[in-house]
Amino acid sequence: MTALPVSRRRALRIPVAWRRPAAIGGAVVLVLWVLLALVDPLLGLQDPLKQSVGDALHAPSGAHPFGTDELGRDVLSRTLWGVRASLPLAVALVAGSLLIGSVLGAVAGYLGGVVDEVIMRIADLVFAFPTIILAMVVAAALGPSLTNAVLALLVVSWPNYARVMRALVLGARNQEYVIAGRLLGAGPFTSLRRDVLPNVSAPMLVLAMLDFGNQILLLAGLSFLGLGAVPPTPEWGSMVADGVTQFSSWWLATFPGLAIFSVVVAFNLIGDSLRDALDPRTAGAVQGSSI
Amino acid sequence: MTHLPARITALTATAAAVALIMSGCSSSGSSTSTTSNKSLVVDNTFDLKTSDPARAFELTGSIVDKALYETALTFEGSDVTKPVPQLTTYAMSPDNKTITLTLNGKHEFSSGNPVTIDDIVWSYKRVQGIAGNPSFLLSDLSTGKPFAITKTSDTTMTITDTAANPALPYILPNPSLGVLDEKTLEKHGGSIEKTDSAESYLNATSAGSGPYELSSYNATSQVVFKLNPHYVGPKPAYSRIVLKNVTGPSQKIDVQGGQAQVALNLNSQQVTGLASGSVAVAKTTSANLGYMWLNQNPTVSGGVTNQPGFVKAVRHAIDYSAIQKLAGSGSTQPGGIVPSQFLGSLASDSANSTDVAAAKSDLSGSGYKGQTVTLSYPTDATLDGVSFADMAQSVQSNLQAAGITVKLNGLPIATLLDSFRAGKLQAGLMYWGPDFPDPSDYLTFSPGEGLGLRAGWTSAMSPEVTKAKDAAIAAQGDARAAAYQAWQKAANADGAFVPLVQAAKYVVTNGATGVTPNAIWTLDLAKVK
Repeated sequence: MTALPVSRRRALRIPVAWRRPAAIGGAVVLVLWVLLALVDPLLGLQDPLKQSVGDALHAPSGAHPFGTDELGRDVLSRTLWGVRASLPLAVALVAGSLLIGSVLGAVAGYLGGVVDEVIMRIADLVFAFPTIILAMVVAAALGPSLTNAVLALLVVSWPNYARVMRALVLGARNQEYVIAGRLLGAGPFTSLRRDVLPNVSAPMLVLAMLDFGNQILLLAGLSFLGLGAVPPTPEWGSMVADGVTQFSSWWLATFPGLAIFSVVVAFNLIGDSLRDALDPRTAGAVQGSSI
Repeated sequence: MTHLPARITALTATAAAVALIMSGCSSSGSSTSTTSNKSLVVDNTFDLKTSDPARAFELTGSIVDKALYETALTFEGSDVTKPVPQLTTYAMSPDNKTITLTLNGKHEFSSGNPVTIDDIVWSYKRVQGIAGNPSFLLSDLSTGKPFAITKTSDTTMTITDTAANPALPYILPNPSLGVLDEKTLEKHGGSIEKTDSAESYLNATSAGSGPYELSSYNATSQVVFKLNPHYVGPKPAYSRIVLKNVTGPSQKIDVQGGQAQVALNLNSQQVTGLASGSVAVAKTTSANLGYMWLNQNPTVSGGVTNQPGFVKAVRHAIDYSAIQKLAGSGSTQPGGIVPSQFLGSLASDSANSTDVAAAKSDLSGSGYKGQTVTLSYPTDATLDGVSFADMAQSVQSNLQAAGITVKLNGLPIATLLDSFRAGKLQAGLMYWGPDFPDPSDYLTFSPGEGLGLRAGWTSAMSPEVTKAKDAAIAAQGDARAAAYQAWQKAANADGAFVPLVQAAKYVVTNGATGVTPNAIWTLDLAKVK
């Protein structure tokens, strides 16, 4: 008689949809940026605000791998510090929009009637304006600052989430398990929290992940237009704007521009993969074609 | 139907293409074969608010009004030391209180109406009556009392100040004192009262006797000029001029590519290596002066910028050499508020010198407790191509090194001017272009005067400066220079303004000649060839 096999150790398995080069590449880039944001102060780079006008507009060199700007500040140091502004604010923006939009959308979808009409007409009002224009108006009214830029973008971003959440809740609220919960005595908010939300959270998560890149672009756009970061804060959008005034010094706009590009692409790749992983309709197709 | 051989067809097509390309190339230059069709594009960073001379008081407004309106007197080229006749000749009274103007030949407005003494008197009274920004030009500097403007005959008139004013002939060439067509304007709301409503008409259709007429006007994009057929002076080389609002970096591309023939706002970094082929770079010392103000009004200052110790600390904390480096080679630090090339300028003053230790010492005795000072600056205007944002960041860094917390507040120039003129800004950076080449133009930087009040600085706050100002006004002849220097020293010791820099002025041309910068109107478009 042979001994019973020991219980099989579960191997750490990455979902198939995540085992795509795009997802891995995006994750690696993002992790690198997060690490840089965390260890930036430990790298011993020049103070991003330290001016040395005598060294202004030096091309990339050993001393300054990304060159210097018009005030002699180190562009590498400013680009790396830029991630400390962009990433946390993008997270705050997406989290805020997700929260506001989800709550309003869920309430509108679940309760319907007048509440639904009021919330969705307000959303329609926001949708009626081009996003960046409305954000510019709000930011200009509040005054230039990164905090005000985030508030402006919150104002224009929540309706997207509200509309998707409302559609999902409308579909879920007539499901038998929700009706059963209500028949067992659950109130509307308990039903919404216990039965509906867990079943609609995956698409909202995908939407949020895909929105990160967009929010970083919008935030950089407002700073580029002078409505976000206030000098001398190192922020990618305002750094690109500075570079635009010095065409001959290509390095001023190139490196912060590449930083924006890499982070936005990374978030989009991760968002795509997350959607493929969580959406049963695409998961199968991806599984079939994955490596 | 017969078919041409393929080779002939190909040759014909090639020849047509070459002809098209050649014609395209030949028309891309600045000028065409006939003088009457020549067109000129001038790139400028606009600070334009209006083209109405009685209201315009910005650098771009001076360029525009110089092209549209003639003045009683003018300056030749860049020489601002000697007023010369234009619409009139002049004679000063022995006591320097009265200037007599006599019509100088025949001049005609673009409407065909002749320029008369009545038009000049009316135009000057309109400047006084509207009480716009340039109205101080025709008022006594110390009392603010308007000059007496009197028609004495059909060909003569007098302008009389209550006190001796040797600067009178230097004031009259200012484009804000351009002479308007009274008969035409009165039909379109023109008046010598504050109720005048001719501004919109003047922003659509000029009414002057200058070399050009207004063809189209947009204060934010471009102003287009066409020839005034009634102009009696030498015919300008260009029949059409487009003055475009273009930022510095784009000006560089425009002038390099030939899309513009003149670029007015490039800085020293941007002109480096630009002079080659048909592109030429001319450098002069600019009379435009960049300065910092610290509001003395207790309700606006936050109890900080009005403290004498704080002001002294700021003066010593600023690294003037760093600002000069930003402004490029050829820039200078003026000792006082009068530019270095004018009578009475100060070469240097220890009150405005970098000394961080002295700044910290002054600050410790000023009662400053770490409050944040808001420093405003224009985001869409430059000091002869030098970014105010860069200067503001440099000043912020200097002040922070001395222990002063500064928050930067970039504003569009129009917004900044409105708030500054209303005296609502705590501190900031601005520039001043001379209205006339005499130190008396800068007395507005005195307590209780126009610029002084914008910084909340009343005459009661600084009696010593007011006394020095009065002495400067009273000084005559050779004593004027010393009196104006004494006034500036007093203002540096106890004043709201810190003179920062005079940048070098670069004018870049591509195929254009006759571009002579002038301290009052920057560029006479009619002289460009």
